[in-house]
Amino acid sequence: MQTETAEKQGTLPELLGRNWIALFIVLLVVFFSVVARSFFSFDTAQLIFFNGTEVFLLAIAELFVIITGGIDLSVGFVMGFATVVSSKLMVACVALGFSPFWSILAASVVTLLIGLVPGLVNGWLVACLRVPAFIATFSMLGVTHGISELLTQGIPTKNLPALAGDIGNGSFFYVAPGGAISFFSRPQVARGQTVLAIIPNMVIFAFLFIFLFAFILGKMKFGRHLYAIGGNIDAAIRSGINVKRDLIKAYVISSLFASLAGLSYVMKYITGKPDAGANMLLEAIAAVVIGGASMAGGSGTVGRTILGALVIAILETGLRIIGMQTFMTYILVGVILILAVIIDQVFPNRNR
Amino acid sequence: MKKRYSAVFAILLILLTVAPVFGQAAKKQLTFLFMPGVQDPFYTTMEKGVRAKCKELGVNLIVAEYPKAWGPEYQVPILQAYAQRGGFDGLLIAPTSVDALKAPLKAIYDKGVEIITVDTFLGDGDYSKPNTDYNFPLSYIGSDNYLGGKMIAEHLAKLVGEKGKVFCEATNPDASSVAARVKGFRDGIAQFPNMKLVGVEWCLDVQQKAQEQTLAALQKDKDIVGIFGTNVFSAQGANQAVVNAGLVGAIKIASWDATITNIENLKKGVIDLVLAQKPGEMGSLGVEWLYKYLTQKVQVPKKVIPGFEFFTKDNVNDPNMQQYIYQ
Repeated sequence: MQTETAEKQGTLPELLGRNWIALFIVLLVVFFSVVARSFFSFDTAQLIFFNGTEVFLLAIAELFVIITGGIDLSVGFVMGFATVVSSKLMVACVALGFSPFWSILAASVVTLLIGLVPGLVNGWLVACLRVPAFIATFSMLGVTHGISELLTQGIPTKNLPALAGDIGNGSFFYVAPGGAISFFSRPQVARGQTVLAIIPNMVIFAFLFIFLFAFILGKMKFGRHLYAIGGNIDAAIRSGINVKRDLIKAYVISSLFASLAGLSYVMKYITGKPDAGANMLLEAIAAVVIGGASMAGGSGTVGRTILGALVIAILETGLRIIGMQTFMTYILVGVILILAVIIDQVFPNRNR
Repeated sequence: MKKRYSAVFAILLILLTVAPVFGQAAKKQLTFLFMPGVQDPFYTTMEKGVRAKCKELGVNLIVAEYPKAWGPEYQVPILQAYAQRGGFDGLLIAPTSVDALKAPLKAIYDKGVEIITVDTFLGDGDYSKPNTDYNFPLSYIGSDNYLGGKMIAEHLAKLVGEKGKVFCEATNPDASSVAARVKGFRDGIAQFPNMKLVGVEWCLDVQQKAQEQTLAALQKDKDIVGIFGTNVFSAQGANQAVVNAGLVGAIKIASWDATITNIENLKKGVIDLVLAQKPGEMGSLGVEWLYKYLTQKVQVPKKVIPGFEFFTKDNVNDPNMQQYIYQ
């Protein structure tokens, strides 16, 4: 008990060491704001969250599996699969005569249900048949990619209801120059006048799920079981945890979040295509590791993972705003990854 | 501890207020942003046209980062970051989707920036229609892709004696320009009763995929006499498939876009016809119309169509034609 309180207080360097990522984000923001004044604004902050939505969701998808000591390589193409399924369903529902709103809602719900299947299969392969996670999810990557290509025949989905784009690119509420507030629809004002848009719909959509699952992971028994499984699977089995069931659940949650990322993509870009999330897998894994999770399992939190994803998102947008090539992002993310691992070894006591 | 935090916070605040003083521009001068569609020779050639015209008119130019691949998920975040950075009065952009770019571009337009789309367009490309959600750009400046596709079909028909099977290797049906080329080619071939278009494949701008798809088409229809590749990547992939299948000479290949590789292939006899768009001219015209509109409020035509040039073996070394090669 005594040591715990001592460690919680700690000296300043220890405190900084354990929260280096928050400090690093502050430094990044200060740096970009000094170089380009326009960086320091509410709009930029919203833009960073808006552009990062899919990576945030994929990072959480990856986190649940990484905590158990596994990895899910399929999230990018499960996301692509979800973009294809949901966009095709939306078009089909509208063709059947449903209103755009109900078409979008129905298609989204059905997509989320279908999106559980890759996770179930992954989890079953890993938990019951003891296929290494790397192999099981790598196969699923191929399967979902192939099915998506078969569904689209190389042609990204077109003719989605315009409402999808309105929702995906809209915000929760708007403040007109006079101070009038309107929810969900942008007020018509003279050109050149600024309408303040507050919180993109897709960011709210993503964070509803992220908060819910942060609660599940942090506060519920199931969450503690995941850490136990990742920490020492034999001990977890001996202590009576239903390891198979919990492992399957972790992969299903991963798949669910990948599908949510797919829905977010469809609403933003009004199309669906197999490789929509192909380039986001590595960013998602990087976010989890920068957020302090160990690839060996047993550690990592939703909050820190979001901070990890935020580092990447801030770098990308920030470098663009100060007018630098974003190829720098690749280099910097690589360096930060290594730093993250080293710093975590020097200041080990993370909350989890 | 609390004191230390507030000290740090105070320093941050001071930094943030002092910083902007350094970045102030002195006098008002027009600045344009050029937002290309994807990293390829077509858009780098366009950039040269844009650059030259800006220099001539004394306009500042910001060239946005080139997207790594074709698609709104690559282009929109770049565009929005540059919009957030601000400081430009006009925007020249090649939208990578007819739908997905509407909302982000409308937001930029609402801030007071004038927009011209080059090479590709929003909606159906007709900005003169009232009551659409895409009639805000000043103009679309680009090739008449439908006409180009049709002209390619006619030239190719002549080369193969107006009979036989032909195949089309295309890129991305979500790009307005490519879809129109394919439609034009289809209609062009339909004019010849003894010719048949046996297939259209979409390689999504991946050269390797274009090569595989063309090879598969050649295996399915062994008597294909002509192929049309609709852009840089699809044409180069189709070329490679024909070379690998040992069918150079037996199959006439028409290519869209006068890239250095296509021109060299033409010289070697690997391909037979190259349509050159005028990306440099598109860029240059875009800058000119934006400038005229912003300085003199001149009425801008809603559509500006630069013509085409055709390269064949006979004129490829003509000094007058060299300006149309993308480099």
